[in-house]
Amino acid sequence: MQNKMAYTRINNVIRKEWETTFYNLNSALFITLLPFIITLQALILIYLVIKFSSSDALVNTILQRGVDTLQGTMPSLLTLSPLEKFQVLFYSQFPFYLLLIPVMIAISFATFSIIEEKQARALEPLLATPVRTWELLLGKALAGAIPSIIITWICAGIFLAGVKWIGTSHLLKYVITSSWWISILFFVPLITVFGFMLGIIASSRTNDPKNAQNLAIVIILPVLGLIGIQLGGYVILTPGLLVIMAGVLFILDLLILKVAVRLFKRESIVIKWK
Amino acid sequence: MQNIIETSGITKIFDGRVAVDDLNIKVKKGEVLGFLGPNGAGKTTTIRILSGIISPTKGSATVAGFRTDEDAEKLHEIIGLLTETPGFYERLSAKRNLEFFAKFYSNIDVDFQVNKYLKLMELWDRRDDKVGNFSKGMKQRLALARALIHEPEIVFLDEPTAGLDPEVSIEVHKLIIKLKEEKRTVFLCTHNLEEAELLSDRIALFKTNLVALDTASNLRNQLFKREVIIEMESVDNKIIEAVETLNFVQGVNKEDKQLVIELTEFDKNRPDLVESIIKAGGRIQSVFERKHSVEEIYMTLIKEEDKEKG
Repeated sequence: MQNKMAYTRINNVIRKEWETTFYNLNSALFITLLPFIITLQALILIYLVIKFSSSDALVNTILQRGVDTLQGTMPSLLTLSPLEKFQVLFYSQFPFYLLLIPVMIAISFATFSIIEEKQARALEPLLATPVRTWELLLGKALAGAIPSIIITWICAGIFLAGVKWIGTSHLLKYVITSSWWISILFFVPLITVFGFMLGIIASSRTNDPKNAQNLAIVIILPVLGLIGIQLGGYVILTPGLLVIMAGVLFILDLLILKVAVRLFKRESIVIKWK
Repeated sequence: MQNIIETSGITKIFDGRVAVDDLNIKVKKGEVLGFLGPNGAGKTTTIRILSGIISPTKGSATVAGFRTDEDAEKLHEIIGLLTETPGFYERLSAKRNLEFFAKFYSNIDVDFQVNKYLKLMELWDRRDDKVGNFSKGMKQRLALARALIHEPEIVFLDEPTAGLDPEVSIEVHKLIIKLKEEKRTVFLCTHNLEEAELLSDRIALFKTNLVALDTASNLRNQLFKREVIIEMESVDNKIIEAVETLNFVQGVNKEDKQLVIELTEFDKNRPDLVESIIKAGGRIQSVFERKHSVEEIYMTLIKEEDKEKG
């Protein structure tokens, strides 16, 4: 009975979150359009680089080092032409580039959600209902995480379709590796949780969603850094390394969840959230 | 009658500032308690403690047998709270807002209750409109609907008529009277003194700590002597002298065409007083008791409290 009620309450929170978020044109456009723009941008960029540059032009760049390092971890690349190796290097970065999507969606959801509650002053009457704090927080988190993860996976699918459309489907076997799956299946949910909790923490201290969303930079910069160091050949994230990083991210998630839950205590919400 | 709300020395301190100091109060089942106090007195903090939203720094409170700081979930099933600001999701309709809040309660027929209260609050025709387009009065009625949607035994109302026009205020008063008739307990937090007297069985005067707690008439009798006012066509010295000679008269004051008279025994002495005035040639138009307003009670008690605190 209690579990059924908890499920009903969480479901109720999720439904309301989606309604209020998607009734807001700004947040609806941001959440639905931006991920596809990011994906298309990546595809167009890769297409243009490949179409209008030769492998000779790329050989003398820092990217050659990236290809060499990648080749060290993936000897099967030796059979490919120099241009194809560059293509694989580019395509391999996409799972990391893709992480920007859940970060942005999760932070947007958290900030819109909490700031909407604060502006509406609906949290106090909400806390006077039998809803438990964890049900409320979980409902909000799932309302952000579900579309975030689904949209990210759809974008991953669009990217793979794009790779095929560019005419390089024979390279997919070098792209869809265990690293790809670790990133898609573990990093996307883990970074979504991180982004959401960061959004909650930031929103509890401000009334302006833009201020809260600026915190996204805390996550976006390390993700872009990851892409940079891989393209530059400084490090290649092998499956082993990715598993370790996923573990670290999991621990960070637990820590940030602890902070968010503390902030989400009834008394903090009513007294301190202004 | 059994106590449904009991506090035992509840104290709340925020960053070194005492908001509620050692509050001991008992509210009977079915009673309407007017919780009066100036702005910043700690009324909202008290309501938040009693409704299990915040915990006291010291002391404890039980509402319907549930500890407010330990059994919040069970407590919230049986209490209704009208917050000082009627917070709603402005992009959602009135109906959707009520549905959202109603779905957190177990054992209620959400559709039935939502429709019932939309009709009761005369919001049925506007049920699909966004709350953002509602007037303050409509939002307040919707907030009352939300507080009552699960038919709570105990209702906490924080300034239910603040900022409302007189017409809407009267509607809210009628609703509170209806709750009283239904034997629900109402904890009415207000700084509207007339409202408190009109609706409450007892009045608690609160300013960080409990200053007084009793019925309005008992408080009045404790603070002021009972006086009779005789209104006449004209008042001359002959009449005043005749009144002053009466042995049960303790004091006489002339206020325009009225005599304000303090009697030894208020009910027993009045007929003799009236007879004496008529004998002295006075033409009486009306006789009534001077009724000190709740405002006078409030001001007297608050001044005494301030004096005590230095």
